[in-house]
Amino acid sequence: MSPFIPTYDAVMRPTRRHFLGTSALGMGALALRHLVPDASAAGEAVGMHFPAKAKRVIYLFQAGGPSQFETLDPKPLLRERHGQDLPDSVRKGQRLTGMSGNQSRLPLAGSFTEFKKYGLSGVEYSDIMAETGAMADDICVIRSMHTEAINHDPGITFFCSGSQIAGRPSMGAWASYGLGSMNENLPAFIVLVSRDATKDQPLYSRLWGSGFLPSEHQGVQFKAGKEPVLYLTNPEGVSPHARRGMLDALGKLNGVQRASELDPEVDARLAQAEMAYRMQTSVPEVTDISGESKETLEMYGESVSQPGSFAANCLLARRLVEKGVRFVNLFHQGWDNHGGLPGGIRRQCKQTDKPAAALIKDLKRRGLLEDTLVIWGGEFGRTAYCQGKMTKESYGRDHHPRCFSMWMSGGGVRGGHVHGATDDFGYNIAADGVHVHDLHATMLHLMGVNHERLTFKFQGRYYRLTDVHGHVVKPILA
Amino acid sequence: MRIALALLILLYADVAEADAPVSFNRDVRPILSDRCYGCHGPDANKGRKAGLRLDELTGATKELKSGERAIIPGDIENSEMVRRMLSTDPDDIMPPPDLNRPLTKAEREVLIRWIKEGAKYEPHWAFVPPVRFEPPRAGEGWARDPIDRFVAAAASKAGLSTLPETDRATLLRRLHLATTGLPPSPEETDAFIADKSPDAYLRRVDALLASPRAAEHQAVAWLDLSRYADTWGYTGDKPMFAWPWRDWVLNAIRDNMPYDRFITEQVAGDLLPDASQSTRVATAFSRIHRMTFEGGSIAEEFRQDGIADRVATTGYAFLSLTLDCAKCHDHKYDPISQKDFFAVAAMFGDLDENGLLDFHGQPPPPITRLYQPGEEAKEKELIAAVREAEALHGLSVNGIRSSAPLTDVTVPAPEAHYPFESLTKVGTDNAVTNGKPATFERSRGDQLGQVELCEGVQGKGLAFDGDGGLMLAGLEKYDRFTPFTFSAHMRLGEKNARATLLHSSGFYSGEGDASGLELLITEGRLRWSAIHLWPASAASIETSQELPISRWMRVTVTYDGSSEASGLRIYLDGKPVTTKVVRDTLDAPFRPNSLELGSRSRDSGFRNGRMDEVKLWRSALTAAEVAVEHGIKAGSLDDATVADHRLRREHRPWIDSYAKLVGARRALNDHQIKAPAFPVMRTSKHAPPTYVLTRGEYDKPDRTKPVGPGAPEAVLPWDPSLPRDRLGLARWLTHPKQPLTSRVLVNRVWTQLFGQGLVTSGENFGLMGDLPAHLEILDTLAADFVSGGWDVRALMRRILLSATFRQDSTPTKKHREKDPANRLLARGPVIRLSAETVRDQALQAGGLLKERFGGASAQEHEPYRSVYVFRKRTAPPDDMLIFDAGSREICQPKRLTTNTPLQALVLLNNPTFVSAANSVARRAQTAGKDIDARISYAFRLLCGRTPGADELSALRELHRQRREEFAADPVAAGLVLGIKAAPPPADPPKGNAAKEKKAGPEKKSQPAAPAPPPPGDPDIAALSLVASTIMASDAFVTSR
Repeated sequence: MSPFIPTYDAVMRPTRRHFLGTSALGMGALALRHLVPDASAAGEAVGMHFPAKAKRVIYLFQAGGPSQFETLDPKPLLRERHGQDLPDSVRKGQRLTGMSGNQSRLPLAGSFTEFKKYGLSGVEYSDIMAETGAMADDICVIRSMHTEAINHDPGITFFCSGSQIAGRPSMGAWASYGLGSMNENLPAFIVLVSRDATKDQPLYSRLWGSGFLPSEHQGVQFKAGKEPVLYLTNPEGVSPHARRGMLDALGKLNGVQRASELDPEVDARLAQAEMAYRMQTSVPEVTDISGESKETLEMYGESVSQPGSFAANCLLARRLVEKGVRFVNLFHQGWDNHGGLPGGIRRQCKQTDKPAAALIKDLKRRGLLEDTLVIWGGEFGRTAYCQGKMTKESYGRDHHPRCFSMWMSGGGVRGGHVHGATDDFGYNIAADGVHVHDLHATMLHLMGVNHERLTFKFQGRYYRLTDVHGHVVKPILA
Repeated sequence: MRIALALLILLYADVAEADAPVSFNRDVRPILSDRCYGCHGPDANKGRKAGLRLDELTGATKELKSGERAIIPGDIENSEMVRRMLSTDPDDIMPPPDLNRPLTKAEREVLIRWIKEGAKYEPHWAFVPPVRFEPPRAGEGWARDPIDRFVAAAASKAGLSTLPETDRATLLRRLHLATTGLPPSPEETDAFIADKSPDAYLRRVDALLASPRAAEHQAVAWLDLSRYADTWGYTGDKPMFAWPWRDWVLNAIRDNMPYDRFITEQVAGDLLPDASQSTRVATAFSRIHRMTFEGGSIAEEFRQDGIADRVATTGYAFLSLTLDCAKCHDHKYDPISQKDFFAVAAMFGDLDENGLLDFHGQPPPPITRLYQPGEEAKEKELIAAVREAEALHGLSVNGIRSSAPLTDVTVPAPEAHYPFESLTKVGTDNAVTNGKPATFERSRGDQLGQVELCEGVQGKGLAFDGDGGLMLAGLEKYDRFTPFTFSAHMRLGEKNARATLLHSSGFYSGEGDASGLELLITEGRLRWSAIHLWPASAASIETSQELPISRWMRVTVTYDGSSEASGLRIYLDGKPVTTKVVRDTLDAPFRPNSLELGSRSRDSGFRNGRMDEVKLWRSALTAAEVAVEHGIKAGSLDDATVADHRLRREHRPWIDSYAKLVGARRALNDHQIKAPAFPVMRTSKHAPPTYVLTRGEYDKPDRTKPVGPGAPEAVLPWDPSLPRDRLGLARWLTHPKQPLTSRVLVNRVWTQLFGQGLVTSGENFGLMGDLPAHLEILDTLAADFVSGGWDVRALMRRILLSATFRQDSTPTKKHREKDPANRLLARGPVIRLSAETVRDQALQAGGLLKERFGGASAQEHEPYRSVYVFRKRTAPPDDMLIFDAGSREICQPKRLTTNTPLQALVLLNNPTFVSAANSVARRAQTAGKDIDARISYAFRLLCGRTPGADELSALRELHRQRREEFAADPVAAGLVLGIKAAPPPADPPKGNAAKEKKAGPEKKSQPAAPAPPPPGDPDIAALSLVASTIMASDAFVTSR
C-alpha cells in the first residue's frame, strides 16, 4: 500500500495544452490532429475520417418552434376533424407542457394553409413556403424529427449543443475545433441574429459558446452596424497606419520576449494580434454588400436592404461561406405561436421564405451549394391540437417535441426527397424518426467527420457532440 | 494462429525481462481506465460486458462464462486478455475498434509485463489518506522548505538543475499578481529593491496575504466553482440577489477562516449549533444554481436538476470527483455507485422547495432575512411581543361561561353576492347594492373555454367547463392580514384530480407559482390555502374526506388573517369538517391580486362543475354564523359553537386582545419585510423522499429504491457517530482521514500560485485524472495543512516563501526541451493572467481603479475590481469570456487558457483599456523628464519592470513616428486622448427650428454642426499608443 512516486516519463506525457500551443491558429491540417485524441501517443496517422461532402455549413435556426402543420407536413385529417378532441389513443398519455397540459379539452386544429406539390420531385409545401417550395428539387425535407425537451431553453440548448445541460460546446464550436478555419482573416464560426424578428424568447451568447472547448472556438457574433465585431474598430484618432506601426512595435517587443523565454505561446499571441489586424480589414469587406448586383439583392427580397434582417443575414451568410468560413449560424426568432398562429406564422414566412430560398439559389448558381450544407429548423414542433382560444379564423398550438419537420439542402444531401413520416394526426412518428443526435451525426458525417471520433477529454470523460448516441441518417445522403 | 500468437507473446516476454517492475498506479491503471473500464469497470448495471471487471483482482481473475480467465497472474500465455489485445480479428480484438482508442505497442507492453509480473493491483493514490514524506537530501544551499528538496531531487534525476531566485522586480510583480491580482507600483518596486534586510520578502508576503485585495483575487476561483452569478440563468434570466453570499466568501477569505469551517458553513451553516445569519447566508452556496420560470416548465424536473447541480458542485468543489457521472448509472471509472449519487442527493434534497422560480423572480423560499446590525434583535423583540399577545389572548377566554342557547344570530352582510341569474358578454351581476359585477377579464379572450348558465340551487347557476372562469372585479384586494370568508353552493360533475375553485394568485406561470388565497380540489378533496410562495411559505389545510359527486352542497371557507393554518377553516353545508394541516409556514405577504372563480390560466379549472349563490365577506364568519347563513337554526347549535360565537362577537376582553395580537403580528411583518429575503438551505420535514431515479430521469423514481442521506463510502467510510444530514456530510468532508479534501485544496492553491496544479487535472482526482507531478509535495503539504488546522493563509505563505516559487522563470534550452510544460518545477512559474487580472491590472496601472470591499455588483464599464462585475449567466461580460472566464451557469473547476484575435481586439480597442492607456500616458508624461524615462515609466506601470534596450528602442521608434503624425494632426491626438469638445450652445427653441427647416435652404441658422474636437498634446497621444502597445504585449498579460 505504499504510495508511489511518479517517474519523469509518467508526468512528461505531452499535455493537450502544450500540444495546442504549437497550433495556435487552429488552421486546417494542424487542427485536424484534435480528431484523434492523443494522436501522438497512439502513434496513428493524422487525417480526415473520410472525404467531406460539405466543407461549410449554414444553419438557419428558427427559434421558438415553427409549426410543421402550416409549413412542411400536410395533414388533411386535422381539417376534417377540426374542433374534435385529440383521441387518447393517439396521445397515449405523453407529457404536455404546463401551458396546455391542464386544458380540459384538446381540440384538433386543421391548418389554414394550402399545400401543393413542387418541382419534378413533387414534394409538398404550403402556400406560405412557396418560394422554398420552388427549390424543392434541391431540398430534403425531414418530417420525422424528434427531441427530448418540451420547453424553449432546454430545447434550444439541446439543438445547439447536443445536451440539455448547460456548459457543452455548441455545434459550430465543435466544427471549428474539429476542422479549423479555411480563412486566416476570419473566425471559423460566425453567428448572425435577425434584427427584424419578433423576439418572443431571448437568444443568448451561450448558445454559440465553446463550453469546455478552448474559447478560440466560440462563435463570433457579427452585428449589423458600424462595428460588426465587438471592439473591431480602432479607437477614435488611431489610423490604420498608426495601428500597423503599433503592431510592428508589438512584434519587436514579443520578439525580445520570445528570444529569452523560448516560449511558443509568445509567438501565438503575436499571430493572434496580427489576425485581429487583418480582421479589421476583412470583416468590413465581407459585410459590405454594396458590390452585390441589383438582381442578387432583389432575389433576397426587399428587406435585404435593412441591415441585420433575416434576408440581409442570408446574403451575408453566403458571402461568409464564400470566404471559407466553416460554420455560419443564423438565428431567427418569433415562431412560438401559442395563440393567433395563422397571423403569426404568415408573418414569419413572409420574413424568411424568400431569403432562405434565395440563399439556396444563390449558392447553387455560384457552384457553392454542392459543398455547402444548409439546414433549416427550430428546437421543436407544435401540437396538432389547439392551445387557448379557437375560432374559425384563428387558433394556437403548444410545443410538441415528438415530431416536427426540418429541411436540409446541398452539401451531399439528397434533393427532392422526403424522409420520415408522421401519423395522420401529426402527433407521433410513423416511420424513420430522426433524433437531434442523429441530425448532428449526419451533419458531421457530411463534413467528413465520424461523430464518434470527434472527442474532447474533459473532467475525465471523452465528450462528443452526440454524447453516446446518434446514427447517421443514410437515406438522406445523396 | 495460436502459434503466431505464442510467438508474439514471446516477443513481449523478452521485452518484459528488460526493465524495472511496472507500477499499477503509474503505468497500468491509466491504460485500463481509459480503454477498458467503460465496459469492464465499476458500473455494475447494464454497462458491464461479459460479466468481466478489470478494476479489481477478483473480477479480473475469475473464470468467465466462456471458461476463460482474463488475467492469470504471471501467465501471459493463458491470460485471455493478452490474447485479445494481440488479436488481429476485428471481432475479437480488445479494445474493440469502435472505441476509437486502440492500444499502442508501448501500452500493450506495459499490460503484458504487468500480468507477467503477477498483476498486482494497488489502491488509487488519491483514495489513500495523504502522509508526510521525508524530504530527500537534495538542493543544499538552495532549498528553503522541505518541498524544495523534492523539487531539487526530481530535477536532478531528470538531468536538470533548479534555477536561482529571480530578480527583485520580477519577484515582486509575481508575488503581487499571485496574491492580490494587482501589480506593484514602480515606487513599491523601487522600495523593495532598495530594502536589503533579510526579511524584506517575507514582510511583503505577510502584508499582501493580509490585505483585502488578496481576498478579492483569491475569491474568484471559488466563485467559478460555486457558479456564483448575478442572474438566475435560463430564458428570461432574471436578476438573482446573491452578492451577500459573495461577500460572505470575501470576508471568510480576508479573515482566513479555517478551510474546514469554510466548508462546513457553506454545506450546513443552518445546522450548526452556533448558527447565525452569517452561517445561514453561507448555505446559499447550494441555492444559487440556475432556476427557470419559463411558462409550462415542470417543477419536479427542475427541482431534480437543482439537486443534481448541488451534488455535482459538491463533488467538484470539495472532492474533485465527477459525482455527476453517477446520476444515470454507476460511475464508469470511479467506485461511485448510482446509489451513492442519490445518497448525496438526499443530503441536498432536504428542502421544502419549488423547483421553479416564480414569475416575479422573488427569492425562492426557504429564505432568511438579511438584517442590519440591531435589526435582528428588534425582530426578536417583536416575536416576543407576538408571543406575549398570543398568551394574553389565550387568557382572554377566561371569564366567559355563558353557554345559554343563542336565540338569534345576525350574519353580517356579504361584501359581494353573485346569484348567477343572468350572464352577458361582460359577465354576471352582483346582488349587493352598488357592488361591481363579476367579469370576463379581457385576457380571458385567449381562453379556450366558456362558462354558461345552468340550473342552480336558487334559480339559475353557473356551469364551468374547466377552461373558462370569472374575475370578481371591483373589490379591495385581500392581503395576508385581511380576514375573509367565501361561500358557494357547488356541484361536482366528476372526481376532479385538480380544479381551481377560487384564487387570487394573478399571473400564474406554472406549477406552484401561486401567491395569494387559493381554494382547490386535489384528488377530490378541498384544499384551502394562504400562500406567499408555495410550498415553503404557506398556510394550508385539506379535508380528510373526498367531496361527494353529483349533488349540490354548500362550501364555506374562512381565513382569520392570522397567517396560521389554525386560522383556516372549511365548512360543508354549514358544518365544520375534519381537516389536516398541509403547510403552516406562511412568513411573508402575498401579492395582492383580484379573485378569480373556477379557472386559472395554465391550471386546471372546475371542469364539469357548477356553482351558485357565491358570497364573499371581508371578515371570518364564526361557525355559528356559517351555520345560520346556511339555514341551520341558531337554537340548535351545540355548546362549543355557541361559546365560540359569544367569545368572538360579544366578549370584550377577547375582542380587544385579538386586536392587539393582530397589531403585534403586523408590526412583526412590517419589520421583517423591510429586510431583504435571501435564499438559504433549511431542512424540512416536508422534503420529498429521495429515490434512485432510473436513468437519472426526474419522472422515473424507482420506488423500490428509497435512499437515505450518505456519501460515497469507497472514498471514506461513513463514521456512524455522524448525523445523517448535511452537517454530518460536512464532517465527513473535513474528516482527518478524508483523502481528497485537503489534497484538492492544496492543489487549488498551487494552481493559483503556479498557473497549473501539481495534479494538472485539478477538476478530477478520480481514476481518469492525471497523476500528480510531485506526489510527495502534494501529500506533505496536505498532511501539514490538516494537522495545522486547515490554515489556508499559512499554506500559501509557505509556498510563497519556498525557493521553488522564487526561481527565475526563464528556462535554459535544456529546461525547455526536457520539460516544456514545467511539470518538474525546476524553474519559476509563468502564468497567462486571468480575465480579471488583465482588466484590473490595466485599471490599476492607469490609476483608475476604484477600490471598495464587497457590495452590490457593478456594471462592466465602472472601474471597480472585476470580481464585482455583474455576471449575467446567459450573456456574460464579453471581455471575461474572451479571456477564458466561464458563464457561471454551472460549477467550473478549471479555466483553459487560449489565444484568440479577439483578445488583441480587447486590449487594443476596448474603451476600458483605451482609457487606461490614456491615463498611463498622462502619468508617464509627468513622471519622466525625457521620452526614454516616460516610456520606461509607462512600461514599469504596466509590466512591473524596466524595459530592455531592444524593447525601449522599439517603443521609442513607435513614439517618434506617432508623435510626428499627431503633431501634424493634433485633432487626432485629441480624439485619441478622448478630449471632449465644450458642449455646443443650447438649441434654439424647437418651434423655431422646425419653422426654419420648413423655410428652406437657409442652413446657416440651423443648429451649428458640432465643433471639431479640440486638439490634443501629440506627446501624450503618442505615449498613449505606446501604452496600448505594451498592453497588447506578452509582458503585460503574462506573469513570469
